[in-house]
Amino acid sequence: MAEAIVKQAFDLEKVSSQSENDLFYFVESDSVSSEKITALRYSYWKSVFRIFFKKKINWFLLGLFAFILLMSIFFPLIFPYDEMENVINTDSYFLSPAVAMSKYGVSLKWLLGTGPVGNSIFYGVWASAATSIALSFVCATINMALGIVIGAVWGYNKTLDSILNVVYNIIADVPYILIVSVMVYIIGSGFFPFVIALTITGWLGIAYFFRTQVLIIRDREYNLASRCLGTPILTVVKHNILPFLTSVIMTILATELPGYISYEVFLSYIGIGLSAETPSLGQMIERAQTGFISYPWAFWAPVTVASAITVILYVLGQNLADASDPRTHM
Amino acid sequence: MANKKSSTPILKIKNVDIVFGRGRKEFKAVSDASFDIYKGETVSLVGESGSGKTTIGRAVVRINPVRKGYITFDNRLINGKIPEEEKGQFIKALEEELEIASSMPDGGAKVAEIKAAINTVKTGKITFKQSRDIVRKIQMIFQDPAASLNERATIEYIISEGLNNFHLYKDEKDRIAKIEKIITDVGLLPEHLTRYPHEFSGGQRQRVGLARSIVMEPEFIVADEPISALDVSIRAQVLNLLKKFQSERGLTYLFIAHDLSIVRFISDRIVVIHHGKIVEIAETEELFEHPLHPYTKSLMSAIPIPDPILEKNKELFVYEPDKCHDYSVHKPSLVDIGNGHFVYGNEEEIANYKKIRG
Ligand SMILES: Nc1ncnc2c1ncn2[C@@H]1O[C@H](COP(=O)(O)OP(=O)(O)OP(=O)(O)O)[C@@H](O)[C@H]1O
Ligand SMILES: [Mg+2]
Repeated sequence: MAEAIVKQAFDLEKVSSQSENDLFYFVESDSVSSEKITALRYSYWKSVFRIFFKKKINWFLLGLFAFILLMSIFFPLIFPYDEMENVINTDSYFLSPAVAMSKYGVSLKWLLGTGPVGNSIFYGVWASAATSIALSFVCATINMALGIVIGAVWGYNKTLDSILNVVYNIIADVPYILIVSVMVYIIGSGFFPFVIALTITGWLGIAYFFRTQVLIIRDREYNLASRCLGTPILTVVKHNILPFLTSVIMTILATELPGYISYEVFLSYIGIGLSAETPSLGQMIERAQTGFISYPWAFWAPVTVASAITVILYVLGQNLADASDPRTHM
Repeated sequence: MANKKSSTPILKIKNVDIVFGRGRKEFKAVSDASFDIYKGETVSLVGESGSGKTTIGRAVVRINPVRKGYITFDNRLINGKIPEEEKGQFIKALEEELEIASSMPDGGAKVAEIKAAINTVKTGKITFKQSRDIVRKIQMIFQDPAASLNERATIEYIISEGLNNFHLYKDEKDRIAKIEKIITDVGLLPEHLTRYPHEFSGGQRQRVGLARSIVMEPEFIVADEPISALDVSIRAQVLNLLKKFQSERGLTYLFIAHDLSIVRFISDRIVVIHHGKIVEIAETEELFEHPLHPYTKSLMSAIPIPDPILEKNKELFVYEPDKCHDYSVHKPSLVDIGNGHFVYGNEEEIANYKKIRG
């Protein structure tokens, strides 16, 4: 301790022997360097994906979804599914995997036994998953696109606002399922009629939601600033409003995509689903429900795939929504 | 300072009422406001929070429509409607302009513009083309530098937004040159162009806001409390930039502020507003030396004195309209009492003010 003080005093003495000019010099004030930003360059989408892929569960779910998607696209191409191939052999109906294999030989085809008309459940599940996934993506794309575009204009245009509010109030009071059912009765039940039935009013709720969002953001000061710079409304929507809604859009997508799969299953279940020649998960479930206790494989296989797709899409969508919220980027 | 007596005002605000809402929910934020701004000068609009300063500023950039009265810029109607009895005088002035323009060899565009302006005076309808023209000429700087920049856009996009809208450049090279020049003019670096607003300090953001207005080469700028949200240490920087651009480009400013202290050093004239009513207008020194309206006096007494003893013993003047005025018999109005000094009061008060001043 004492030694240190002595040493310090010695140093001071040495220092004081030097002139002031040697010890201090003026630092030029550098206005350029004071403006410099040293933080790393920020990129919105890079940050979104960085956050998204930091979660291991997302890799896993994405892998699982890719597997289901690839299987549902390519499996039916390699092993075509023919529901009616055994329909004349009534003794092929509802066979358990073991019985089916002993009867027709060991093969992938009979991995999950047979269904109500002797059809291969394993083949059927993939062919049906393709329909369900396609249906949900087509419907979600149409409804989201219409919803966002119309919702944005709706939020900006006063005349359109009063018209669409009336339309919305009327249609929102009629149950969606009722509208879809009536539409299916009117225009038939193929894949595309079904898409039309699900989208003819499906965009309205989404558009209404976006209208409200636009109303909230529209009068923020930076949008007034854009107005003062003469920016056209569509450019304002594209650059000032939509970028703030990416996370909200993801959240809606996360409920919309699985939603259409559930609708298809539900509508088929109550008997107004897709037509018989389009294989679908809903139909498989509906037809197997009679054998729910005695032939569980025929029921649980499509239920499992439908639930898996629904849950995966929902969780992935929610996680993407979280990642696209810039507050998580710090 | 511009010579006010000889020139006509560049911006004219006349008997303006600004009302929010309709029917029962109606709220009159500004009532019967009138003042002129001449080319090249800085007029400050001062009043407490909620007095309607921003509301007036936004009426000038046409975000807020005026319910009664009108605003003209460069003799062109930009907001509201001109009353029948004044239309003749506007049309006459415009017709004189028209005559000069039509005698010019290449005055075709100008002639068309003036004809449209005459039509606007008659109908009160502003065309899309006129509206774009006003947007380019009148720019606004906003109160909150954080809220007024689009967080999801790069600085380059923000600054060049106006340029893009009006194609104010020859080619891509010219556009880049313009935004690089303006960003260095406001003391930022070209490398900032690829950054996002949240990476900047408040002072830097406000300079970005300044850059995007100035790059449009406007003639008039509404600066809505451009330094209120900033740290004291960087206020001078922004004020100096405003001054620099004004002297370089002959800009005219409507400067909005809520206290008188900063205003003294930048403004030529001051307009004091209280609860949506203009109570006093005068040249800066005139106002500081002879504040007449009790509300102006109370604002003066709120200016801090850089001396602890004086400041401590300072008598604060509180303005209570009900005690100061008795408007039950004689109704007040804004009256010129000489020296370009306007005060709001009734006959009796005005006579009194004239006595004090004279
Ligand atoms: N869009 C609006 N709708 C309804 N009322 C409004 C609107 N904008 C402003 N007002 C009201 O008008 C009055 C004046 O507001 P203004 O923003 O002009 O005040 P200000 O003088 O700018 O105050 P500050 O110094 O706080 O910015 C306030 O009472 C405010 O509540
Ligand atoms: Mg304000």
